[in-house]
Amino acid sequence: MLRLAFSLLLLCTTLPAFAQATADTASSDTTSAIPKKEIAGHQFVLGIDIISPVRNMLVTGQNGYQFAADYYLHNEFYLAAEGGWGSSDVTYDDLKYHTSNAYFSAGFNKILLPREDSTDWGGLFMGLRLGAAPIQRSAATYTIIDSLWGNTSGTIAPKNFTGYWMEITAGVRVELYKGLLAGWNIRGKFMMNGKQFNDLAPLYITGYGRGDKNAVFDINFYLSYAVRWKRKR
Amino acid sequence: MTNPKPGMQVSFGSWLLAGVVACFAFWGCTQERQPCLTPKTASLNMEFVHYATDSATTTIDTALPMAIFGAITAPDTVKYTLYKSPSANFTISLSPDADSCSWLVFTDSFYVRPDTISFKYQRKLQFLSNACGFTYFYSLSSVQTTHKSIDSVLITNPSVTNNANATKQLKIYVKTGI
Repeated sequence: MLRLAFSLLLLCTTLPAFAQATADTASSDTTSAIPKKEIAGHQFVLGIDIISPVRNMLVTGQNGYQFAADYYLHNEFYLAAEGGWGSSDVTYDDLKYHTSNAYFSAGFNKILLPREDSTDWGGLFMGLRLGAAPIQRSAATYTIIDSLWGNTSGTIAPKNFTGYWMEITAGVRVELYKGLLAGWNIRGKFMMNGKQFNDLAPLYITGYGRGDKNAVFDINFYLSYAVRWKRKR
Repeated sequence: MTNPKPGMQVSFGSWLLAGVVACFAFWGCTQERQPCLTPKTASLNMEFVHYATDSATTTIDTALPMAIFGAITAPDTVKYTLYKSPSANFTISLSPDADSCSWLVFTDSFYVRPDTISFKYQRKLQFLSNACGFTYFYSLSSVQTTHKSIDSVLITNPSVTNNANATKQLKIYVKTGI
């Protein structure tokens, strides 16, 4: 699965470079090598995932809040970051424990379709992230149900650990009104140190998803607000 | 600052709607506990064999006609399982509550003198998944038997897990003529 992630990473990073090289070659045929001037201004966007509150209401025992921010660099590249916090309670008949975590992920987004004018801030994008989450797990109580020999119960000691993962994301964002943006992201996430969860994997890690899977898919729907200012000429 | 072009708005609006539908479909499927798709109990698999002749060095499977296995779960309590069809391969479990346990083995339901097989082992608590919870895996350290119809017992794989495809753990040599 990590191989797939790295392949996509390579594809994602080389395609824009290839496209840029092609564009440069094409332009050099007709004009001399003039550095491309950035026509768009600055933009900083702060958003909240509106799926999280809905999910908190629908899913018993799980809570989470997620935020996202990005800043336009140049050439349709955005510096992007997400963060949040949450908790989950497992209350099955044979397994009970509580986990809580915060998380932070950072990376970049690349708009896939070139903008038609400098004020067009929507579009399809693809991006990469590295994420980390410090996780606190309470003591866990378990019962092994055995109809022949009888049930056995016990307790697992509490534990703190940090999960690291890589994300590939793609999505779409549109401007609903002046500065008000909406859009969704789908995310493929790949846990890089999942072996530490072998003794008891957290059911849910806010920002990642199911802790007992090394590869998960997730979806966010962000409502965001953009602050913009012009570049110095 | 301008809004997207009308054509783009329709296109992106469709994408937005698809995203909302996908969000609710996705979360709608993840509310319940996932089903447990792996065995929750570690299985000890046994193969009954016998020598074809007294001087033979190779063994052949011994199909026990109507074997009965009894788990001695307490000093005066035995829980029996009757196998109605002939077989040479049987599966039992070990006690998760102790480091030893015993089973009675009737090689035939008409044979009134059972053998007692006693197991000693180390237990290892094993997390399967949030869907399945915990179980115990075992490492066999010794197996002893009486010799009414069983000649000897050989541990062929000391590791007792929930892996159904693992090598059988015991080879039980039955006395010729049973």
